[in-house]
Amino acid sequence: MTGGKCQHNWQMTDVKDGFIVTEKCYHCNLLRTYFSFEETPPKEEYKEDDHYWDYAGSAQSIKFNMKCGCCGKTVTFENLMGLMQCVGCDANCYINIVSQICEGQNIWVYAGLAYSSGAETDLPVEKLDVLTNYFTSRLKTPGKKILVLPGSLRKNPETCRGEVLKDVGMLSLTPET
Amino acid sequence: MRVKDLETTLNLKPLNEVYDKDIDGAFISDMLSDVMAGAKAGNVWVTVQTHKNTVAAANLVDVSAVIVVRGKKVPEDTIQMADRAKMTLFTTDLDTFQVAVKLYEAGVRPNR
Repeated sequence: MTGGKCQHNWQMTDVKDGFIVTEKCYHCNLLRTYFSFEETPPKEEYKEDDHYWDYAGSAQSIKFNMKCGCCGKTVTFENLMGLMQCVGCDANCYINIVSQICEGQNIWVYAGLAYSSGAETDLPVEKLDVLTNYFTSRLKTPGKKILVLPGSLRKNPETCRGEVLKDVGMLSLTPET
Repeated sequence: MRVKDLETTLNLKPLNEVYDKDIDGAFISDMLSDVMAGAKAGNVWVTVQTHKNTVAAANLVDVSAVIVVRGKKVPEDTIQMADRAKMTLFTTDLDTFQVAVKLYEAGVRPNR
């Protein structure tokens, strides 16, 4: 604590396993993603408002929150789908440009992707900062840093080939159909 | 133990440059989400995964080296990504259990 303001020592808490489920409306082709705690990813078709949602794939992942070990403040990450590292697929993509600039300074850029239904949404900057500070605090390599940026900085999310940290096809008990 | 000591002690085959880093503990998992949540900086990570998002996860938590077991073929783009992150990739024909035993015999312990 400095001057009454906590510097925060973030720790991952409330870690729970589950699935990132992707669904597609077979009328309008809208894609959406959400997190499911079910033991196997839900695959039933269903109607919701004007959409007819059909299962389009799943990946195992975790959901977590961050808690400050000093002041006890908790920041929830219910809307974080995952972190993505740029592979340089689009020279004009902002994530790619920033990644290339930062890499020379041993700063590794990840995009924080949020669950979405249609238009891409971002996590609040304050939450991205928590992720940046947490993952940077875990490093041991001198001078190395992690920087988590908004996913909307991707030039084209539809064609982006960045590496999202999620586990696809890892359960033999839940084969993709 | 240093990363270069791993190569000789466990008779591993390096797939890229052997970066001189300390090894502090071991983490065994084939799931990236496990690594994000449970691996610690300085760990050597033992896995069957060879996809390049393996390196993205390893780099995020700053593991010192990755050992790919059971002789799995590692794609060239994964090796290139590891070099960008200055992270050594090893491969071995040993399975996960055999590597774990050899790491333990060499004094490397799991995370607490």
